[in-house]
Amino acid sequence: MDILLGPLWDTLFSPFAEFAFMRRALVATLALSLSAAPLGVFLTLRRMSLLGDALSHAVLPGVAIGFMVSGLSLTAMALGGVLAGLLVAGIAGAVSRFTTLKEDASLAAIYLVALALGVTLIAGHGTQLDLLHILFGSALGVDASGLLLVAGVATASVLALALMYRGLVLETFDPVFMAAHRSGLPAWVWQQGFLMLVVLNLVAGFQTLGTLMAVGLMMLPAVSARLWHDTLPAQLLNASAQAALAGVAGLLLSYHFDTPSGPTIIGCAGVLYAASLLLAPGGWLPRWWGTTHRVA
Amino acid sequence: MTLPNTFPLSALPRRFLLASATALALLGSHAHAADKLPVTASFSILGDLVRVVGGERVAVTTLVGANEDAHVFEAKPSDAKTLLASRLVVLNGLGFEPWAGKLLKSSGYKGESVIAAKGVKARHMEEEKGHTGHAHEETDPHAWQNPNNVVLYVRNIAAGLSKVDAAGAASYQANAEAYVKELQALDAWAKAQIATIPAHTRKVITSHDAFGYFAAHYGVKFLAPQGVNTETEPSAKQVAQLIKQIQREKIRAVFVENMGNPKLIAQLSKDAGATLGASLYADALSAPDQPGATYLQMVRHNVAQLVAGMRLN
Amino acid sequence: MNRPENTAGATTPAITLHNLTVSYRRHPALHHVSGHFARGALTAIIGPNGAGKSTLLKSLARLVPVAPHARITHALGERLAYLPQHSELDRSFPLGVRDCVLMGLWAQTSAWGSATAPMLARVDAALEAVGLQGFEHRTVGTLSSGQLQRALFARLLVQDAQTILLDEPFNAVDSQTTAALLALVRQWHRQGRTVIAVLHDDAQVREYFPHTLLLARECIAWGPTAEVLTDPNLQRARAMAEAWDETAAICDIDGQVNGQDFDTLLAQRLASTA
Repeated sequence: MDILLGPLWDTLFSPFAEFAFMRRALVATLALSLSAAPLGVFLTLRRMSLLGDALSHAVLPGVAIGFMVSGLSLTAMALGGVLAGLLVAGIAGAVSRFTTLKEDASLAAIYLVALALGVTLIAGHGTQLDLLHILFGSALGVDASGLLLVAGVATASVLALALMYRGLVLETFDPVFMAAHRSGLPAWVWQQGFLMLVVLNLVAGFQTLGTLMAVGLMMLPAVSARLWHDTLPAQLLNASAQAALAGVAGLLLSYHFDTPSGPTIIGCAGVLYAASLLLAPGGWLPRWWGTTHRVA
Repeated sequence: MTLPNTFPLSALPRRFLLASATALALLGSHAHAADKLPVTASFSILGDLVRVVGGERVAVTTLVGANEDAHVFEAKPSDAKTLLASRLVVLNGLGFEPWAGKLLKSSGYKGESVIAAKGVKARHMEEEKGHTGHAHEETDPHAWQNPNNVVLYVRNIAAGLSKVDAAGAASYQANAEAYVKELQALDAWAKAQIATIPAHTRKVITSHDAFGYFAAHYGVKFLAPQGVNTETEPSAKQVAQLIKQIQREKIRAVFVENMGNPKLIAQLSKDAGATLGASLYADALSAPDQPGATYLQMVRHNVAQLVAGMRLN
Repeated sequence: MNRPENTAGATTPAITLHNLTVSYRRHPALHHVSGHFARGALTAIIGPNGAGKSTLLKSLARLVPVAPHARITHALGERLAYLPQHSELDRSFPLGVRDCVLMGLWAQTSAWGSATAPMLARVDAALEAVGLQGFEHRTVGTLSSGQLQRALFARLLVQDAQTILLDEPFNAVDSQTTAALLALVRQWHRQGRTVIAVLHDDAQVREYFPHTLLLARECIAWGPTAEVLTDPNLQRARAMAEAWDETAAICDIDGQVNGQDFDTLLAQRLASTA
């Protein structure tokens, strides 16, 4: 037994035990998994799966303005990014409510305008280094303040989602029912509240872990989880679990096999997705294998 | 302007003489001011050198300014206009400006250009994993980090300026040689400074690999976390190895250049028990109010900071 | 004719319409409809395609904007339940049938209240009433369209509203389900609820619905079914042009066109096609 434990310890635990940067990366990744993955499930249900990617570009004008006001201050740029993201998501949501455009179309239009605005602002101010690169972090570069940010956002986000759960489910499932019902908060409150949570999680994730990881941890496990379960609560838990698993596995692989951490984590999430496609109840193999059926 | 002695002064009306003298004087000064040679330099360090060599005779515009990153430079229409209005373009060469060829061609610039690093003994980059900032894979373009190379730079610039403006050749020559003397003094000073550090502690960590020529010339070991730069993401193994190396070699000084993403390197150094030194100026000069505003100041600042850092080792 | 018909036995009407006009891009879907639905009346809305029947229900449910001069008055304190035609329901949503029906109690539970045992009992009773006992834990996506319609009726049951609006409730549904749901509708009528249903089947309307509103963008006839569903009325309804007329004149606020009222226009049109 001891013979096994030694190498097992070395493989699984010692990287985290030995290096503070590994521990911080792990905590940040787990925090984001917990809060972002459930939001990802709702995004897929609302047909907004590409929101994360669009937002990573849409935050640019906010970051540029933050830079113009306060120079290379990460706080100012991050704050600007959050405000820009909220504005973009808010406008896209509002447009989809008041016109025939669906959320994905209105979002596509707005984020492109935001991106163009951001690029123009930066060019006018001088060709500084790619501001987004300065703002966007990476898993191995998480410092104490970054950790606080992600952990704080994650806690607040999980609590907020718990509070918003029923309203959000109803608004997603049957918005006409909610509109006709007229009791309780109006439908747009749930929609905007949800979008705000998504933006907060994403921007905190961008700054601490980088775009690939923030968007990846939000969306990929969520998509996989939907193949496994029929009920929403189970899908939410599954998504978080897969995200956490991908995070741990990815960090360990990056450590032992000398690969960049962010892409490795998302790669692990991708492997889980492929496994889900094959093995999950909603996947391919059960369909191929399940030839027996009940009488009624 | 002096009148030839064959004309007796008294033979011409005094007023005419006065008028023509004034006119000629005015013409001369007007010609002097209007004929400032327009030169475009690719980045701030070259701009400074051209200003030194050219002196009053040139008007220099720099494409990539102070504190800006030549690697992510994107040309604007005004840059093409600036080029077309110039009579000389000064580039570093060695692959530092991958965008230059395209810009020159697309703007239709037909004038002279100078490769400042011509004749420099090129070094090769340390093994870099996917460093997308430099277009090349091997040649290290940061030749100016060794003042001896800058001697070649200013001589090349002087030659280029003389080719375009033969009348000022003597002045360019003189300025260049005066500057060469300053460079040699700077080099001697730097060597002396570094000599105060024991040989086995002459090592620092930086976040960028711009100091290859400096390292080779002055015998200082620059350790860069492989792949840890503004563009690519490191692997956990690389970061772990670097921390272990810092601890093993007992390096206390970590330096970040004046651009780039310092967050990762700052956190890394804290983890390893090292301190973050002041910024070094690697690829660009600083703003006028900061300590790296000219090339000489830049090198002086870098050396002073490095030495102070290495002293902690 | 635009004369609203009063029904016997009603005190304050459940819903009163005055000059209800709804336009899409300046073409009217509903044109100056006035009248009232008596409390407890079971009314069918019938008419050709494009007559504005769904639009009428949507404006009653306050889901579409109406022209500024229109007025809809709901009796005070009346709760309204609305079953739309093609639901914007997300059929692939991972929601159980029981949870779907439970949404009918949204007014009581709101976003944060817990679902008490009595509430759950109501849900289960409603499922039984529509014949979906045993389906509690199935997800919505696994139901056939008939079963889904039953589940939505169960939700209506649980909502316990005084006014119920049904938009083509029996469209994609088999006859057995239709019979079951019709029985529910009659039960609601007996309970004194005001039920308004958009339907296509004349025979169904004659058999089950005491009141009818014959709509062809304008109100053709409104009142007891036998008086409304007469051949002359039906013919007038069919004469309504379905397509938008880009050359139509702008309408005056009191429903006249070029100084002529509807009857005159209709007489002209019938004469020209005769």
